[in-house]
Amino acid sequence: MLITSIGQGLLWAPLAIGVFITFRILDIPDLTTEGSFPLGAAVTVSAMLSGQSAVTASLLGFLAGCIAGWVTGVLDTKLHMPSLLAGILTMTGLYSVNMHIMGKSNVPLLSQKVLTNYLPQSWSIDLQTIMVGAIVTGVVVAFLIWLFKTRLGLSLMATGNNPAMSAANGIYTDRMVIIGYMVSNGCIALSGALISQSNGYADIGMGIGTIVIGLASVLVGEIFLRGRQIWLRLSAMVLGAIIYRFLLTVAMGLGFPVDDLKILSAGILVVVICLPILQNKYRTRQQLNRYLKQIGADEHEASNRSLNRQASPEGLLSRDSK
Amino acid sequence: MIGNNGAGKSTLLNTIAGTLAADAGTLALAGHDVTKKPIAYRSKWLSRVFQDPKMGTAGELSVAQNLTLAQRHTGSMSLHRYRKASQVAAYQELLRPLNMGLEDRLTTQVKYLSGGQRQALSLLMATLSHPDLLLLDEHTAALDPQTSQKVMDLTQTIVEENQLTTMMITHKMSDALTYGNRLVMVQDGQIKLDVRGEEKQNLRQEDLLTLFAE
Repeated sequence: MLITSIGQGLLWAPLAIGVFITFRILDIPDLTTEGSFPLGAAVTVSAMLSGQSAVTASLLGFLAGCIAGWVTGVLDTKLHMPSLLAGILTMTGLYSVNMHIMGKSNVPLLSQKVLTNYLPQSWSIDLQTIMVGAIVTGVVVAFLIWLFKTRLGLSLMATGNNPAMSAANGIYTDRMVIIGYMVSNGCIALSGALISQSNGYADIGMGIGTIVIGLASVLVGEIFLRGRQIWLRLSAMVLGAIIYRFLLTVAMGLGFPVDDLKILSAGILVVVICLPILQNKYRTRQQLNRYLKQIGADEHEASNRSLNRQASPEGLLSRDSK
Repeated sequence: MIGNNGAGKSTLLNTIAGTLAADAGTLALAGHDVTKKPIAYRSKWLSRVFQDPKMGTAGELSVAQNLTLAQRHTGSMSLHRYRKASQVAAYQELLRPLNMGLEDRLTTQVKYLSGGQRQALSLLMATLSHPDLLLLDEHTAALDPQTSQKVMDLTQTIVEENQLTTMMITHKMSDALTYGNRLVMVQDGQIKLDVRGEEKQNLRQEDLLTLFAE
């Protein structure tokens, strides 16, 4: 069960990384995800059915996601739409685009060679999935580590953190936001491409709930791995995607029907948002108690209680102060 | 530049910086027409220090990263690595004159710095590229009196050392009289007083107050 979760988690990891780029680096909640994920699947499966190799098809899926991201980026920056609305518009439009690409709502792969077929056939399915997931996710992570060490990457981070200051320092923030959307949705579509190959089909409905899955993976990952270095933050995303898959597998093992998985996903997201808030509250209280014990003051208990009430916990979703 | 609240000082500054679009007329920086150009384009010639210390720096990024953004040796789209070991010494050299201990905190995230430290860093960043025009938007208003004085002294030193054309908005009349060689008073969107050189040096606070009252 754990092995399967690792394999599936690695296939979902590019989704978590994509959501991380818009949500954490650019500080934008991007709903394009729900459309670019099935777009990646649709393009990949259609390309494979028309004779392209799995590698080419997956790359085409990635590029299609970049285009979707570009559209949202232009709506957001050039047409000055609120980013939530820009994402919703692209996502809605993509439904029709995906239908046109696939021709019908569910397209199965026939005998096409998927990425796992390039590996020795003697390996088990799980091992093949892990290898493919590890290679693709590894390439994505390596690319992003390199990107965020360049001046362009620094400009991206600055734009997400303080757009006014970035513009004042000569950064064309519109361009940066568009690039961020493109890389993000490219990764998300790539995840869609991997999942469709693993499932053996592309489905028009496979994007539903992906933003929740992505956000939950981001938050779960950050609970377990915290740090400022970009490699650590990206590793946290991969770990988050794997743990999230594991949680879902456990839930299914407990007998939850497949139809209930969406509400379960939403539930997990609520829990992982609340958990850090409680964690912080607990830590603040512990620190305070330790401090009070240090200065040896039982008589301060009254003030202790009032202080606890004042300490306002900070959740993962709350924006850090600039 | 001094003037009442709502006189139009910030509007003028924001129009020059590009935050606001001009309704009419042209705006030229160092001979280049920038009337319709975005903020980032204008930054080739001008720099700005905001009133809010949080505005001028990226809080999530380290001191060194902020300085890299301000240095602009390479374009913001460049794919070259930005971190080089040789820069550490150069950055420390830059930060030492600020006398705020920032030279030992290159990897600290700027959000953990005090308001004074952040504003000093903003000021340094704004002047690193030797702009043709430096805009100071009440940049000491959010600081305590002591820090405010320190940042003002620092401003004077940097501006004189680099011979920078500087435009400062202030509500402190003493600062307006002490610093700079030209004083403009704005009221209702119009320039009411424009004195320079010796005439400015002879100006006293009482004169300004009478003008304000009119």
